[in-house]
Amino acid sequence: MTPLLEINNLFVEYKTGRATSQALNGINLTIEKGEALGLVGETGAGKTTIARSILNLLPKGVGHINGGEIHFKGKSILDMKEKELMSLRGNKISMIFQNPLTSLNPVFTVGEQIIMVLRKHKKINKKQAILEAEKLLEMVGIAKYRLSDYPHQFSGGMRQRVGIAAALACDPELLIADEPTTALDVTIQAQILELMKDLQRKRSSSLLMITHSLGIISEICQKVAVIYAGVIVEYGTVREVFENPQHWYTKGLLNAIPKLEGPRERLASIPGNVANAQQLPTGCKFHLRCEHCTEKCKTHDPELIKLNDDHYVACCEVEERINGTR
Amino acid sequence: MKKEEIFRRMLKSKFFIIGFIMVSVIIVISIIAPYIIVHDPQKTMLKLRLVAPEYFSKGWMGHIFGTDPLGQDVLTRLLIGSRVSLLIALVGVTIPCIIGTALGVIAGYYGGVVDSIVMRFNDIQLSIPAMVLAITVMAIFGNSVPNLMMVLIIVGWVNYTRVVRGIVMSIRDGEFVQASRALGASNLRIMLTQILPYITAPLIILMSQQVGIVILTEANMSFLGMGVPLPAPSWGSMIASGREYITIAPWTVIAPGFALMLTVLGFNFLGDGIRDVLDPRSKD
Amino acid sequence: MVQDNRQPVIEVRNLKKHFIIKGKGILHAVDDISFSVMPGETVGLVGESGCGKSTVGNVIMRLLPSTDGKVLFKGKDIFESRGSESMEYRKKMQIIFQDPYSSINPNKTIRSILSEPYIIHKLGKGKELNEKIEKLAEMVGLENYIMDKYPHELDGGKRQLVGIARALSLSPEFIVCDEPVSSLDVSIQATIINLLMDLQKKMNLGFLFVSHDLSVVRHISNRVAVMYLGKIVEMADTDTIFANTLHPYTIALLSAVPKIDLDKKPQRIILKGDVPSPMNIGEGCRFAPRCWMAQDICKIKTPELVEVEPTHFVACHFNQDSRKSAEGILKK
Repeated sequence: MTPLLEINNLFVEYKTGRATSQALNGINLTIEKGEALGLVGETGAGKTTIARSILNLLPKGVGHINGGEIHFKGKSILDMKEKELMSLRGNKISMIFQNPLTSLNPVFTVGEQIIMVLRKHKKINKKQAILEAEKLLEMVGIAKYRLSDYPHQFSGGMRQRVGIAAALACDPELLIADEPTTALDVTIQAQILELMKDLQRKRSSSLLMITHSLGIISEICQKVAVIYAGVIVEYGTVREVFENPQHWYTKGLLNAIPKLEGPRERLASIPGNVANAQQLPTGCKFHLRCEHCTEKCKTHDPELIKLNDDHYVACCEVEERINGTR
Repeated sequence: MKKEEIFRRMLKSKFFIIGFIMVSVIIVISIIAPYIIVHDPQKTMLKLRLVAPEYFSKGWMGHIFGTDPLGQDVLTRLLIGSRVSLLIALVGVTIPCIIGTALGVIAGYYGGVVDSIVMRFNDIQLSIPAMVLAITVMAIFGNSVPNLMMVLIIVGWVNYTRVVRGIVMSIRDGEFVQASRALGASNLRIMLTQILPYITAPLIILMSQQVGIVILTEANMSFLGMGVPLPAPSWGSMIASGREYITIAPWTVIAPGFALMLTVLGFNFLGDGIRDVLDPRSKD
Repeated sequence: MVQDNRQPVIEVRNLKKHFIIKGKGILHAVDDISFSVMPGETVGLVGESGCGKSTVGNVIMRLLPSTDGKVLFKGKDIFESRGSESMEYRKKMQIIFQDPYSSINPNKTIRSILSEPYIIHKLGKGKELNEKIEKLAEMVGLENYIMDKYPHELDGGKRQLVGIARALSLSPEFIVCDEPVSSLDVSIQATIINLLMDLQKKMNLGFLFVSHDLSVVRHISNRVAVMYLGKIVEMADTDTIFANTLHPYTIALLSAVPKIDLDKKPQRIILKGDVPSPMNIGEGCRFAPRCWMAQDICKIKTPELVEVEPTHFVACHFNQDSRKSAEGILKK
């Protein structure tokens, strides 16, 4: 079965007058139909770059795709002309952004913005669009009379709901959520997460959930991909990866998070600094910070190898261990 | 910004390079002017009035740009006049800047009543047209360079106050200011060590933009007879004296007019260039 | 907890801070807060936006004037201090801010930023000063090469280390940590939390750790106080407050945190409505509008903060029923 979204060996760099950043260095990712994939990584790892690349929305002149492919339902996105891309965006592939304050246009009412999306992609008249928009607001838990309110009249959490409503307006097959709850208070975050889980259940759309929170991924996603310095270092079902992490970065992340339950042990920090995308190390991009670095790691860039059907990891040390026991 | 970064941007900005060259040339000329002139700028030789520009027909000793209605050599008066323009520009920019900045910082930092008082003075000053003030001052106190400078200072400080106040207000509640207060820094110390560095770049940009304006203001006033009193050479008064003769001796007006234009243009380019270099928002 | 005969390094008594907003009314940011911080220990202050936790920190640090109440440093009223005594408290009480991008002056070198405390208090200059700041940098794990750099040349984690070094420069006894790790990545968070805890042990520092992140607060605090709309709704030792949560808000807050729990699906209490703002608050429990167990009395009578078991304080009329009631409505 063709996956809904398939990214193969994607390379992206950002070139400003001063320096070049290697943002993505051979990303391999698949999302099946109806699946929720969590993309977890720290700042600068490349999560947002992936989201933008899928929609081919990298900043003009600065962001360059240097290699690889992105296929949506079998068709190559990178080969698509702008017109075809525009009919995809907001329609088949939608996005929710981190900051609900800046992702909504302050001079249009919430209703106008949702209706704009509807009428662009669906052939319906204004009256029908208003009815649709009301239904969407109700779906996300906002009273329909608020269609005529402006974004600044909503709180952060409500604005994010509006963002979700607009993103879901045309029933997209893939929803990309880029840190949708990071800017929200804990209790409001819980509301939004429950809403997203609910909507996931009711629809058959796929979700790409981008976040730095492992907890959120564990709750809402079936699969998880861990990204470091523009490379997917580990990928698999949430259970496999979180219960049995293989990559030393994933292990480091899991051990660095303080827990709400259980004994309070000293947090394991990951030595060294976050990889500098302008000056990536040779070989495995994580090797400088890895306590289990071998000679091979310094020169050889590991590929994702299959541990089992539900678990892939890109690590020379793991590779050697497996080959050693075979 | 580090020095290397500043250099790199300087070389990258065409405005900066052109402006810098133009202004440097003008400054150098104004400095060496007294040593290179051949004629006396204020010696009137009525026999030689309104001589047409001889350019280099008589070598350096001739009247290269001709003479004015009083027989004074135009080029010589141009060169000496540059000193006047630049000196007045210097005073007319730096002193208002100091006053305006000080008031802007105080108003922005303390806010409240202090702010209201300062800004009311600011608004009152802004509403008095420079020319009206100049005429009044000159009428009461007479026409002189010091009086001219006084007018420029009174009129000029308001250009800085509001901008500085705005910037100060935007950072006075910032965390690094709070951190200084938490360490026990006094208000004065905070204003000098935390806030001033923040406004330095915008101030330099503003100052370089004001130079052209001040030069033109002085020229206007001199043209109207309220500026540098004759017989001292000033580009503005040169234009004034040549005005009547513009049809028969256009060089008496064109020469100083051109000098003014090039000077102001040079400073404007430099101002834009400095903005390109120092404004963090104009990053590539 | 065993009866503590030590003197608290900081004691906050009935602290109030109100803001008068023109045209809108009174913002009760901090409304009658009392707690103590012991030397060498951390009190965690948790809550969501608008609860007043950052304001508490700012008032204690005298960055904002208080409306009412006292703050005692080792028994002495700091608000009443003047002159050199006031400057002494500046040395003894310090603050670390949340945003490593705005808490250090972008126009100054690191050397200049770290020298400032010593210059203000006339504690050294020239070579002596340089040695002091080099030692300071070493204490937080910063290498000497950063001294001549500007903040924008360092990443968030290093900048935060500069902020921490600055706070430690005058050998304080108490530090307000205002969301010091919230802007940082997980891997750097861990380094900073470990560093803070090590320094606390070494220097016997008292911390007021303000944060919205319950996991971090649990990790670092000895006692936790939960704030809602300007008031403390629950306060207890860390273990107690997590094991025997009594206030409905705290229960909801804990259940809201996303956890890695692969076996049971997390159970959650979803509060209705938005996080309100502490504007023009009247009588009655402030949490009542969002509370699933609110009764009529809750809307009329403001609950007092009472000690329901030794050192465990709750402000809720029905604190005995909350846990059972929560189990009843837990959302799957």
